[in-house]
Amino acid sequence: MTRATDFTETEAIICVVANMMEADKSYWVVGGGPSRLATLLAQALYIPNLTASTEDGVIAPQPAVPLQPLMQFVSAKASYRGVAWTSMNTVCSLASTGYFDYGMLATLQVDPYGNINSSFLGGDYYHPGRRFGGAGGANEIASMCWRTILLTTQEKRKFVKKMDFISSPGFLDGSPGARERAGLPAGTGPYRLFTPEAMFGYDEETRYMKLLAIAEWVGVEDVLEKMDFEPMIAPEMERLTPPTEEELEVLRVRLDPNGVSIRGNWIHL
Amino acid sequence: MDILDSGTGTLRHIPDPDGHRAYIREHKPRAMVEKVMTEQEAVSTFVSDGDYICYDCNMIMRGPSSLIREVVRQGKKNLAVGGRFTYVIVNLLAGTGCVDHIDVGFIGVGAALTRVLDEGKVTVTEWSNSAMTMRQMAGALGIPFIPVRFVGGTGAFRYSAAKLARDPWTEKEVVLLPALNPDVSLIHVHQCDIYGNARIFGPSVSPWETAAASKKLIVSTEEIIDTEYIRRDPGKTSIPYYLVDAVVEAPFGAHPGEVQGLYVSDQPAIMELFAANRDKTGSGLEEYLEKYIYSVATHQEYLEQRVGIARLLELRRQAEIKEGYYL
Repeated sequence: MTRATDFTETEAIICVVANMMEADKSYWVVGGGPSRLATLLAQALYIPNLTASTEDGVIAPQPAVPLQPLMQFVSAKASYRGVAWTSMNTVCSLASTGYFDYGMLATLQVDPYGNINSSFLGGDYYHPGRRFGGAGGANEIASMCWRTILLTTQEKRKFVKKMDFISSPGFLDGSPGARERAGLPAGTGPYRLFTPEAMFGYDEETRYMKLLAIAEWVGVEDVLEKMDFEPMIAPEMERLTPPTEEELEVLRVRLDPNGVSIRGNWIHL
Repeated sequence: MDILDSGTGTLRHIPDPDGHRAYIREHKPRAMVEKVMTEQEAVSTFVSDGDYICYDCNMIMRGPSSLIREVVRQGKKNLAVGGRFTYVIVNLLAGTGCVDHIDVGFIGVGAALTRVLDEGKVTVTEWSNSAMTMRQMAGALGIPFIPVRFVGGTGAFRYSAAKLARDPWTEKEVVLLPALNPDVSLIHVHQCDIYGNARIFGPSVSPWETAAASKKLIVSTEEIIDTEYIRRDPGKTSIPYYLVDAVVEAPFGAHPGEVQGLYVSDQPAIMELFAANRDKTGSGLEEYLEKYIYSVATHQEYLEQRVGIARLLELRRQAEIKEGYYL
């Protein structure tokens, strides 16, 4: 394993998340982009039999990469070598019965309690400033997987105190039992939030977002400057491991040769 | 059962399991009768103004693209649409004035949709992708609602027409979703016989629930096969004939989308479609509609005159993965 010195922010987050994935756990992954690429990278290098499933009911595929950006579901390549082809309601029911350890999502906006907005920005519900796609498959994932992992970029407009709309649930208002009172399964909720520059968790008592680790090329202050609220700060700040050359080669040559999803600001160490 | 909270969204159809049963008893053909017809005939007969319409998959992934184009071509009005796991169809239907209500799971939001939303010409009710497929599941089970353990606590609940109730057994809070029985659904399949026994190979979204919940069902198929093949391998049948009202032969019916095992998606055509949907001036969509829908009379004309045999053969050639579909 050779430490890389030049990579994009997107590559950094993909590699960090890929390294977090576990062979004996199950994942429900929605959307294309970094979260899907992280599972493919983990599969290519570390966990060939990764138990990741997608919203269209494909169980543990070994996709015929590269996948075109819009063809991350249903397509023959995306579904290739799965162990079962089921349906949306089947994977949803598997989440409901507790089969999914982790849900992985990318998000437009997140608040201190890990609530997610993917519906609109600005204005109000009936007069949205800019309307987006809706809760999609994120709501069921964030509601019913045991632990939710979020991916986003480190920007002030992404980390907001109060969101225009909650599309998918985090710890809601953070009060004890808030999720259960809303009808969600006990013992579920946000677990980690990754950006290219940081990893966050949530305080066990208050459910408030907590900065746990930062990338090598930033300081804590740099991260806080790119947030609209101040998270709790872990007493001992960990450092995220930068990508290796092997990981970057797989990403750039096999998984995204056209560089569609791995673009981003360049980091030079 | 105590109702603790209610979403404020519009519910286009109040669940009516007995009404649905009565419709099925009265209207669905039980006999094995031939249902093959053209897309014009199927859409004009079975899609009525004001219908609630659903479809499985979407315009880039084994969706009923040719039937959607025909709905637009015929200029249907006041449809409600179940928009889940979809990118451009809702925008196309909204942009052409076909739709006045959208139930949202996930939709691609284009310029036309933004415009009709701004103008208040459509109502929108929030759900999620699985909330929509679970609503179809309830419709397919013939029950008025289904309890689920998601949607709750969010804006997606607040602006839905779901309810939060206390479950009489566990005494815990649970979200109730109203059943959805669409008036008409469109499903594109790999193979089908003349009676409607249909085969879908590979992953899907909710073809069974979509078919079984719907009052009327139009199936478009890549090829029509003999019933003898259906009877020799019944495990492959996804939808039995008596759920089906019309069978439309539509090779490359998902174009510009993919049908797994047969042809890959037409990426330049998809990019053209997406660009037309994004175009803020509206002229891009107008031009697209004129070129690909209004100026061709049928799906066959679309294929012959707008796509061409060379590109179709290339899309077929590139579909190298056959395992699980035809192998």
